[in-house]
Amino acid sequence: MIASLLTIAWIYLRIGLIFFGGGYVLIPLLNHIMVEQYQWLTLRQFLDGLALSQLTPGPLAMLATFTGFRAGGFPGALIATVCIFIPCVALMLIVGRNYERLKRIDIISSTLDGLLPAVVGLVAAAAWNLGGSSLASVKEFVVLAVGFAIFKWTKVTPMFVILGAGLVGLLIN
Amino acid sequence: MYHGAPFKAIFSLPIFPCRNNNCLIYIHTMANSLQKVRLSEIFLTFAMIGLTGFGGGMAIVALVERVCVREKQWITAEEFLHGLAFGQILGPFSLNVCTFTGHHLRGICGGITAAVGFIFPSFMLMTLLSWLYFTYNKLPQLQAALKGTNPVIIGLIIVVAIEMGRKQIKGKNGALMASAAFTASVLLKLNAAWILLGAALWSLGSSCYYRRSR
Repeated sequence: MIASLLTIAWIYLRIGLIFFGGGYVLIPLLNHIMVEQYQWLTLRQFLDGLALSQLTPGPLAMLATFTGFRAGGFPGALIATVCIFIPCVALMLIVGRNYERLKRIDIISSTLDGLLPAVVGLVAAAAWNLGGSSLASVKEFVVLAVGFAIFKWTKVTPMFVILGAGLVGLLIN
Repeated sequence: MYHGAPFKAIFSLPIFPCRNNNCLIYIHTMANSLQKVRLSEIFLTFAMIGLTGFGGGMAIVALVERVCVREKQWITAEEFLHGLAFGQILGPFSLNVCTFTGHHLRGICGGITAAVGFIFPSFMLMTLLSWLYFTYNKLPQLQAALKGTNPVIIGLIIVVAIEMGRKQIKGKNGALMASAAFTASVLLKLNAAWILLGAALWSLGSSCYYRRSR
């Protein structure tokens, strides 16, 4: 076991509190904390975890389960998953309770609208950082280009694309 | 995948159009409290959604909408949309709409039951896969296969960034903020968390400012 469960709980709780803008923002957040700061995972393992979280049902946020598992085994995975979701579940319960009274919602929605470009910038930066440090050979760039084209111009489910990519990797390596 | 079109539709929706419909909602809540849905049913329904909800984000929301709004009629379409709008504040909105619907049915217990039910199947699957991965990732076959998936994942992130950018970056300010966040992360190596917090504060400040000056 690499890290104490309390550390894991605290880290994921903090991530849960700044989890704005949907699942993809977790990629830069978790990459920074898990790979660069605590070095619980290598960059490769992080990318493999991303592939796995695309293969399983449920939100992309299940990446937290994977990284938590690495940091502390099954208890780590459980604590990571629970802690990252505590803030948003609590918030939704509060919203549900006061649903009819929340009159200042226009401030919230315009704040969110204004924040989303930063999320876009961060996701783009994540692609840049991850790609820059993990892509090496020409082969990999070709696979990247093909994957990009499929995601961009077809409606194939990511699950099948990733399974296909795994097969291609098996054949060409 | 990032499904942008419904996302945008929700954002362009007037977030709180129900002022005139308050009494309608009230009647609906009354009807709901009369026929209480059992917690076990909530759990099983959302576990089923969690198990079959591939594709993340909006794909799952569409599934929740079909089951809870159309099939079971647990919540009206309008309330569901409000839940979705609120759900974009924090965390994955697929989970948030589940919590919101659960809360709508049975209060806090219902909300927590729905959230746990929704996450449970993916959690078990993900734990199993993580265990398999960290046990067998020295296998050359698996290594080779994963070598193929890595570039594709990067491709997916790029596509997500482009699609999100097309939908969410409106005007000069948005483009400025996006490139500032990109630069801060790539060149200055700033922590994504701080960038996000900074952007949130900036955005909150400017929307308060515009509100007052209007």
